[in-house]
Amino acid sequence: MASRPAVAAPELALDHVAALSRAAGEDAALLAIRERARALLTPLTLPDRARHLWRYTSPATFLPDGDPSAAAPGDVGPAWRLDESLSAAALLGGGGLRVIEIGADARAAGVVIEDLHRAGVADLLGRVVPAGHGFLEAINTAAWRGGVLVRVPAGVTLEHPIRLRLVAGALSLPRVLVLAGEGSSFEVIEGHVGGGAAARVIGVTEVVAEANANVRYGLVQRWEAGVIGHLTARARVAAGAHAQLSLASFGGAEFKADVGAVLAGEGAAVETFGVAMGGDAQRFDHHTEHIHEAPRTTSNLDFKVALTGAARSAYTGMIRIAPGAAGSEAYQENRNLLLSGHARAESIPELEILTDDVRCSHGATVSPIDPEQLFYLASRGLAPMQAARVIVYGFLDQTLGRLPQTTRERIQALVAARLHTE
Amino acid sequence: MNENARPVFSCNGVHVRIGEKEVVKGVDLAVLPGEVHAIMGPNGSGKSTLANSLMGHPAYALTGTVELGGEDVTALPPDEKARRGMFLAFQYPVAVPGVTVASFLRAAVSAVRGADVPVREFRKELLARMEDLEMDPGFAGRYLNDGFSGGEKKRVEILQLLMLKPRFALLDETDSGLDIDALKVVAKGINAAASNDTGMLLVTHYQRLLNYVHPHVVHVFMDGRIVRSGGPELALELEERGYDWLEPAAVGGV
Ligand SMILES: Nc1ncnc2c1ncn2[C@@H]1O[C@H](COP(=O)(O)OP(=O)(O)OP(=O)(O)O)[C@@H](O)[C@H]1O
Ligand SMILES: [Mg+2]
Repeated sequence: MASRPAVAAPELALDHVAALSRAAGEDAALLAIRERARALLTPLTLPDRARHLWRYTSPATFLPDGDPSAAAPGDVGPAWRLDESLSAAALLGGGGLRVIEIGADARAAGVVIEDLHRAGVADLLGRVVPAGHGFLEAINTAAWRGGVLVRVPAGVTLEHPIRLRLVAGALSLPRVLVLAGEGSSFEVIEGHVGGGAAARVIGVTEVVAEANANVRYGLVQRWEAGVIGHLTARARVAAGAHAQLSLASFGGAEFKADVGAVLAGEGAAVETFGVAMGGDAQRFDHHTEHIHEAPRTTSNLDFKVALTGAARSAYTGMIRIAPGAAGSEAYQENRNLLLSGHARAESIPELEILTDDVRCSHGATVSPIDPEQLFYLASRGLAPMQAARVIVYGFLDQTLGRLPQTTRERIQALVAARLHTE
Repeated sequence: MNENARPVFSCNGVHVRIGEKEVVKGVDLAVLPGEVHAIMGPNGSGKSTLANSLMGHPAYALTGTVELGGEDVTALPPDEKARRGMFLAFQYPVAVPGVTVASFLRAAVSAVRGADVPVREFRKELLARMEDLEMDPGFAGRYLNDGFSGGEKKRVEILQLLMLKPRFALLDETDSGLDIDALKVVAKGINAAASNDTGMLLVTHYQRLLNYVHPHVVHVFMDGRIVRSGGPELALELEERGYDWLEPAAVGGV
């Protein structure tokens, strides 16, 4: 057998965890969580590239250059003007929570938007995404800096969305915890912006949906061109609760996302709808997981990818139905549209069905634009570029049409803007 | 119709190849404004190939000349032909999922008229034309041809004809697969376009349509050629006798 070339073991300094925790005003319980995560990382072992999650992207890509626990607070960029109806808003940037606005109704209903460092919720952190989830999640857990807690009490319905804006700096490790109380109903949109050449982001978001809650969570990534980033966003969905996860990926040079939900209680339902648009030399690697742990749970996933230039996309979609999850249903569909001969996409469904009494289906396609569609639109006067735009917009809009209104309109506008610059 | 009118559409010496195979073998046509020509011919004789290639389908290699309003448009791509007033109603319209009939038509109307049509004005016009065609207004919000029945697709092709108001339209079997009510509606649309001076070439298999649309000229098309042209009586004759008596060999190597 040929011997592999020796690869130097990667180094990851995490020397300032305690100082970071102290400076942020955290309690001892939170520091203990950080220290345990740090212990998982020494020595640092990167995941085996043969493992499916890392088959398409090298784990070393996301390693910070320096000690992530030593990152200095940075600039947040221009002020954020809130010109829409929101229940609450928060801006995370430069390693801290900079703006918090809570509407009067939301405040009266007991909605909490708080600095996660000082929120005293160490017991709730890591329940959905534990440090052992993966090495990047462990790095985030040990060294996250700038975090927000969103808590909507039981029974509260919010008319307007909660918007979180996360502005990436040179190195960002944001952390978001969303707690949806029993029977609550609301929409929360996490928008990622900023960055710049070679900026790195390792973010983790946890969403806890208590029984009968209805949470619409949207993750919108539109970093500047050079960003290399990894975002993990996972939900845990209790009995009778409904979670809708929306995903929209536009920016960055290299983006890997891990989005999913555990359907933990009987009758839980999850829908994940997403679009990704890549161009130039962008690299996308999206992984989704729907884990059915309880009986009579349903999940549905529809993810669309459109690529121009020499963009690359890999999608892996896991559906796991545990032995106890009888009577469950799971559907997954991933379609990829290639607008250039140099773009490439792969789509790999992964099913682990461990009980007989289920209904499950999946579909995947990778294809160029249908020339007959182009001819049809051309015969109606649309020039080739415009015809392609109409087709791509329609391709993505079928999925976007299923999102809640505010998120949908926002993403539709981003898609339209992106199509006009292609 | 003016006897001295110049053709709105003409083609001369049109041959079409698909790969190595010649499918259209020399076609000459001249259509005056408001004039309706019917083309009838057996399956596989090349009617759709002729219609698609006249519109500029990139998969077909066309030689000869195609003129629109006296201008040579032979080498123009389909979108430019459309913007100059040419239209093709497809035998098999493709679905464009995610794009609504209304948004698609607004883009098409804006492209063809060369200016954005204000939304309200456009909607009003669209709803009026849909009413003319006895279509449920809900169709405006449906994805173009996605899950439409055969008859619904044909109606939407005629809706586009009425909205885009071309100078010349090729209609490829727009009457196929229609029930009698739908056939009357489609015929009404064709007659409305003709009375607006649109010249038309209808590909059809059925005399039935010609009960409602009165063509000025009927052409019999076999094996890539027009083997006979005549008045509406030719369609009746075909209905009675079929195509056998018109085998290309029998007409002496036309
Ligand atoms: N893309 C193609 N590749 C190969 N052969 C083709 C292609 N398109 C058409 N043909 C062939 O060309 C011939 C003419 O086809 P065309 O569709 O034009 O016939 P048609 O007269 O419209 O028939 P119908 O009445 O059934 O609609 C047929 O033999 C058909 O198989
Ligand atoms: Mg045909």
